[in-house]
Amino acid sequence: MPGSSMKPAAAVQSGSWKAGKRLDWFAAANTAFLIVVALLCVLPLIHIIAVSFSSSTAASAGYVKLWPVDFTFASYEFTAGREGFWRSMLVSLERIAIGTPLNLLLTIMIAYPLSKESHGFRFRLVYAWVFFLTMLFHGGLIPWYITIKQLGLLDSIWALVLPSAVPIFSVVLLLNFFREVPKELEESAVIDGANQWTTLWRIFVPISKPAIATLALFSMVEHWNSWFDGLILMGNPEHYPLQSFIQTIVIQLNFGSMSREDVLNLTLISDRTLKSSQIFLGSLPILAAYPFLQKYFVKGIVLGSVKG
Amino acid sequence: MESKSGKKRLVHGLALLMATALVLSACSGNGKSGEASGSPSAQTQQSSPSASGDSAGGNETAIDPLGKYDPPIEVTTVRNLSDVVENNVLGVLKGETLEDNRWSRLYEEQLGIKIKYDWVVKGNPESDQYQQKMNVTLASGELPDFLPVNAIQLKQLAESDMIEDMTDLYEKYASPLLKDILSQEGSGPFDAATLNGKLMAVPQVEPSIERAMFIWVRTDWLEKVGLQPPKTMADVLAIAKAFSENDPDGNGKKDTVGLGLTKGLWGGSMGLEGFMAGYKAYPNIWIEGPDGKLAFGSIQPEVKKALQVLQDMMKNGQLDKEFGIKDGGKVAEDITAGKLGLEYGEQWNSIWPLQLNKDNDPKAQWRAFPIVTEDGSKAMVPEKFSTTKFFAVRKGAKHPEAVIKLFNMHVEKNWGETAEFDKYYAPKEAESVWQLSPVTPAPPKKNVTAFREIDAARKAGDFSKLTGEPKTIQEKIDLYNSGSKEGFAVWGWERIYGPEGSMGITDQYDKNDQFLIDKFVGAPTPTMVERKATLEKMQNETFVKIILGQSIDEFDKFVADWKKLGGDKITQEVNEWYASTKK
Amino acid sequence: MMNGKMRRELPLHFMIVPGLLFIAVFSYVPMAGIVIAFQKFIPARGLFGHQKWVGWDNFDYVMDLPSFTQVLWNTLYISSFKLVLGLVVPIVFAILLNELKNEVVKRSVQTTIYLPYFLSWVVLGGILIDLLSPSTGLVNQVLKSFGLEPIFFLGDNKWFPTTLIVSDIWKNFGYGTIVYLAAITGIDPGLYEAATIDGANRWKKAWHITLPGMRMVIVLLSVLSLGQLLNAGFDQVFNLYSPQVYESGDILDTFVYRIGLLDAQYGVATAVGFFKSIVSFILIGSAYFFAYRFAKYRIF
Repeated sequence: MPGSSMKPAAAVQSGSWKAGKRLDWFAAANTAFLIVVALLCVLPLIHIIAVSFSSSTAASAGYVKLWPVDFTFASYEFTAGREGFWRSMLVSLERIAIGTPLNLLLTIMIAYPLSKESHGFRFRLVYAWVFFLTMLFHGGLIPWYITIKQLGLLDSIWALVLPSAVPIFSVVLLLNFFREVPKELEESAVIDGANQWTTLWRIFVPISKPAIATLALFSMVEHWNSWFDGLILMGNPEHYPLQSFIQTIVIQLNFGSMSREDVLNLTLISDRTLKSSQIFLGSLPILAAYPFLQKYFVKGIVLGSVKG
Repeated sequence: MESKSGKKRLVHGLALLMATALVLSACSGNGKSGEASGSPSAQTQQSSPSASGDSAGGNETAIDPLGKYDPPIEVTTVRNLSDVVENNVLGVLKGETLEDNRWSRLYEEQLGIKIKYDWVVKGNPESDQYQQKMNVTLASGELPDFLPVNAIQLKQLAESDMIEDMTDLYEKYASPLLKDILSQEGSGPFDAATLNGKLMAVPQVEPSIERAMFIWVRTDWLEKVGLQPPKTMADVLAIAKAFSENDPDGNGKKDTVGLGLTKGLWGGSMGLEGFMAGYKAYPNIWIEGPDGKLAFGSIQPEVKKALQVLQDMMKNGQLDKEFGIKDGGKVAEDITAGKLGLEYGEQWNSIWPLQLNKDNDPKAQWRAFPIVTEDGSKAMVPEKFSTTKFFAVRKGAKHPEAVIKLFNMHVEKNWGETAEFDKYYAPKEAESVWQLSPVTPAPPKKNVTAFREIDAARKAGDFSKLTGEPKTIQEKIDLYNSGSKEGFAVWGWERIYGPEGSMGITDQYDKNDQFLIDKFVGAPTPTMVERKATLEKMQNETFVKIILGQSIDEFDKFVADWKKLGGDKITQEVNEWYASTKK
Repeated sequence: MMNGKMRRELPLHFMIVPGLLFIAVFSYVPMAGIVIAFQKFIPARGLFGHQKWVGWDNFDYVMDLPSFTQVLWNTLYISSFKLVLGLVVPIVFAILLNELKNEVVKRSVQTTIYLPYFLSWVVLGGILIDLLSPSTGLVNQVLKSFGLEPIFFLGDNKWFPTTLIVSDIWKNFGYGTIVYLAAITGIDPGLYEAATIDGANRWKKAWHITLPGMRMVIVLLSVLSLGQLLNAGFDQVFNLYSPQVYESGDILDTFVYRIGLLDAQYGVATAVGFFKSIVSFILIGSAYFFAYRFAKYRIF
């Protein structure tokens, strides 16, 4: 029953508003609690930053906790000079620049028809299940790879954005948000002579800004964090997105059969400070995305657009 | 167009080549077996391009192992790109890339072979990603001209009839030097690459000798607690006891551990193989019993005994109670922080993780000692079979022999008459330059040989005659001895090749015939494929729990279960395989 | 009228076509690979090559493995707790965050709790081992200061599943909260104003306005997460478990991973994937059906 949330059945009859100080105890406790939890969440990142600014020896002896030991920029100097790192970062940014708009466009264009009632859009249910089933059933790595290879996408940025162009989870989420859009708005638009296309972009999209901002974030994070496809689909490490690049240094150590050459490798990649600086630098751009998107999380949009 | 005529020429050239190959295979069929064991002097002569003509039986169209393709050919392959190559080689060599570097130029100029990579994957070849990339490549059906595969992939490719039979090609095109080098590891690597009597790939022979185990001991602690280097297992236990109880780090706290262990139990650093060998227990490898049959080491009663000892050590507080959740990286932290002074590991341990400890505490000193037995008798050193890379050639490749020529050239330029070690193997500015080559065969005993040469020079007091790798290594030792800061960073090398280095012990092991190599070198048997993961899980779970204090009788239950759940069948299959190699 | 309806409907079909094309090519074509589940698949023979058909052998093989029941139980146990808590905790935090009046604090908290999501389990694994160590770990030192016995969180079979569940929630709840926050912003502020005038306190408002306002998202995410019942979190378990806690911590995915390690057993892996898909399909399908049957609500 879409729209039911707009009319909370049991809205409030009893209880009296005790204004003032007593209630703030809750606010204070709540604030304190949330801040403590937030601190618990930020600790590992602080640890990683601390390690990245510590000397290699202190880090490998496990001395570094939350503050750098033997403060140094050495790891950042190394990373700064690592061409592959920055090249990969560019690939990742490019991936988001192409992938996220594509994800959003398709999500909106699929979610809108699917948000209609069945009597307003026959076959809706068929379409919905056709899309949804792809979320559950997969053919596995090999057929996926061969399909992309046959399309000639290997080793290009398109291999990273096209196969994941339709994020079903986002579609399902958005179609539900679209259903919450008050019917009156759509009806008045139709009366004004708007067609489906303009109704979608003039009414539905603006009103669902918080939802779309959320999906944009999900899409960006998804693209930023994916590493497996980069490793398998890119034939040249120069085309790796950043997380694929980083993945090769944050592997678990395996002493199964190591030659001395592997050991030299190990001394490079097991260096905690290098790892940490790259992990930190590698997550900075995407960490910045959320605070930026938060401005779309504004209440009262529905109200505002009805009034306006 | 130009390419068309080029193609035509190529076809002609190919036809000619095939014809000569036919003629040759007919006449070289006889003297096959003698070739590989030719005298060294003859080999070096043959391997130089000028001399090769007459050595192959006076035939004018004889195959020159180092001959040039004219016009040049292009072959495709795939490879990995390790961090070392990326940072320490390509990162420092200006003007060289993975596609265009001294090795690729050498191959192109001298052999007329241009190498093209279908793909390059970052990481090491054992990584999941590399293996998956290889598997999807195999599945997509478009193989490069030649490709490095593991034993399983090799078997699957051979069974699918997708790769060339290399038996004759290897005989014909491998230079005597290459044949000599690849045979130094015994017949194992070739047994592993031979399916149904045919050699299906060229094994890139890796030295099992490098897998030898040592006891790495912090000798500054040893002095502090007043003990001697271990001669028997009782000594080892005494050291472990003293290291955990007598406060070797002198901080007044009982915060040190007697023996380094990881949650994985086995492996080249902090592994238990060497410790167990002290009780004549050889887990994880296949050993030959008195009846000539192969048996699995993990289920022998000797393992039980070794586990009992470890359990007692745990009870007495000499082991880390938390070892069961720590991987090698975590235990390495304990070593670095100076909490641990005794561990079993391979010769490279001084480079990692022990160097970290040295960096952290310059007074720390480590030394490798030979592994010991209970009664002080000769210890047998278990070794895993380490050849895991096989170069297979796609069926129908235009020049199936090209990969062998690359092999020839690689060994020639590094260890042959025309070797240019400082250019192609390990120039000072980029010591891993040899890894730029797609094929990297090396004499399996090269590190021991290097040690022997250095040692001889050391004893003679004259290092001037050293060349190649031994020279480079000696320079590192000199650097360390100079006491400079750079020298400090190569302490790990001195611990390997110095007068009391681990390689000296490998040398002894080798001379005393102390190696016990895994007898099973084939591709996994059907039941192994099905059950090995389950059996391994059971084994490691049981062993860890016993060490942590569970009843030692669990071992007998494990043995019974192991047999019942597929172990007996695996043993049977392994023995069938073993019998087939003896034919 | 009919014509008008057609005219109104046609653009909807057009809108959906590009998306359909994408999933046809990138999902449905590769989906044919499910046949691998019924083959003894050897990569070298190619996808269309001569593969041996083995019927249900791959399924039987996994189910016949000696520790399969144990592993399946671990998977269900760990993932059900993750599912339930993974829903409840973000909802609670979204409501609590919504109560914060100070915008700066609110936004900073919102941002910081989503940080752990971005660290991989390989990295977090190392940090957790330190943090949870019985002898030196911070958590146990706190426990000891309260006079409690130290707990071997990662090495004790009694505690390992709990550790997995709690650390998983800790890593992901901040990220999960975002959707609920988006849902809250969609609630008509007029409702709160009206409730305030009626004299409702904040509990009542949370219970009667905020929660119902998120109802749609809650139901939706609950149903979708049902599909994850057989995924107990490979990366996490793989980086935290050890032989010591196989008994309580080995899950379907780690188990299959180890089986596949020796030999590229794509047949088995695909069979397990297919099995998981079927289970998810049944769970989600029933949830979909019941939601429609009893609440007249179509999830999608």
